[in-house]
Amino acid sequence: MYEKEDQGVLLELKKVSHFFDQRLVFRDISLKLKKGSVLILAGPNGAGKTTLINIMSGLISPASGSVLARVPCEKRAFLGHYTFNYPGLSALENLRFWAGIYGLSKSEEDLTDLLVLVGLKGFVHEKARTYSRGMAQRLSLARVLMLDPELMFLDEPATGMDARSREMLREQIRSARQRGAGIVWVSHTLEEDLNQADMVLYLQNKKAAFMGPATEFRTEVLEAAQ
Amino acid sequence: MRIKALDLMAKDLRLVFSDGAGIVQPVLLGLILVFVFSLSTPVGEEVSAQAAAAIFWLATSFAVILVFNTLYSLEGANQARIGLLLAPIPVQYIWIGKALSGLVLLLAAQLFFLPAIVVFLGQDEMHSWPAALGSIMLVNWGLVAVGSLLGAMSQGHSARDSLLSVVVFPLLVPVLLAGISMGAYFFGDGSGEDLGGWLGLVLAFNALFTGAALLLFPFIYGEY
Repeated sequence: MYEKEDQGVLLELKKVSHFFDQRLVFRDISLKLKKGSVLILAGPNGAGKTTLINIMSGLISPASGSVLARVPCEKRAFLGHYTFNYPGLSALENLRFWAGIYGLSKSEEDLTDLLVLVGLKGFVHEKARTYSRGMAQRLSLARVLMLDPELMFLDEPATGMDARSREMLREQIRSARQRGAGIVWVSHTLEEDLNQADMVLYLQNKKAAFMGPATEFRTEVLEAAQ
Repeated sequence: MRIKALDLMAKDLRLVFSDGAGIVQPVLLGLILVFVFSLSTPVGEEVSAQAAAAIFWLATSFAVILVFNTLYSLEGANQARIGLLLAPIPVQYIWIGKALSGLVLLLAAQLFFLPAIVVFLGQDEMHSWPAALGSIMLVNWGLVAVGSLLGAMSQGHSARDSLLSVVVFPLLVPVLLAGISMGAYFFGDGSGEDLGGWLGLVLAFNALFTGAALLLFPFIYGEY
């Protein structure tokens, strides 16, 4: 039974710690992600951001602690460094395949509309192997949007994207958030992305050096550091 | 389940046939094998039915290794494997999809091997085609059940690629023996072999390795 404060919580981590072999990556990470909120994961290289988002998404199990996602698997989406695109398939075929795997019945028109939305209008039937890194990432974004996710895991989603594509990505994140999706976002362009965040988890020295509202992070950490 | 495993199979086959390399390589290797073995007998002399069957299944075994290396490497590009692991499907569906793709590719390769056996090894008489094809299908399923499991082991680990062939051949011995014996029966005059016994062995092998694969596959492939 959920407590009242748990209403609207999509993802909860309780005292999550992780090791690689004997090396501690981070310890005792606890958080709650609510509907329609954006959590940014930040920290220096090697702090464990990608490991933590992999744990949150269910890709790896934590060494200790618990992860509870209150969203069904088919309503979770992951957009990261890897695009999951098959180079030998066209954009449309890639989307059609993932739609089938997720049990979605999407018409060719629906899928084409998605590709137009992410700026791949003229490349619907082109094989993904001919795409630039930014285009491949946009195809991956189309896959994520197709799932209409309630929980999104974004691990540096703007990798390889130009300024226009990054703006389009932010627009889609805003739109998903307005629909009530919870978003976990690993960002390396913190100052650019902070405006969209509700919460920030800053990993440093193998622990959560900061966990709180984005506004506090700006004043207490970013501005203090400057 | 059925449709999602078939989605995986359709995607794999589209990728392999559009590229071609994944099927051309095993077919060529098998044909070379048949041709080279045909040189082991004097001109005009027929290779025994047993030897012809052994060469057919040897070519098929090599095809198994190449086919499953190709099929699992398809998921390595852009780490689509992670996408599959995050998808709302049991991990075993990946094994089923790969096994079905492997079965189709193996049959495609055998479509070339059989005529080559007829032409180069002089096996121009095969009696009871339907039963022969049935036995080929059964032995093929045993091969792909093991191949799909061990192909997953080699995924992304170059040191394990060589391990695949080392591990896979001893495991395949029972089903290959059955395939060769049944092949000798069908290529030969249709006598002298206890087909029922070999058939039972193949069925038991298939059941054992299909069950083992469904149990073990999540541990082999489900780990990030």
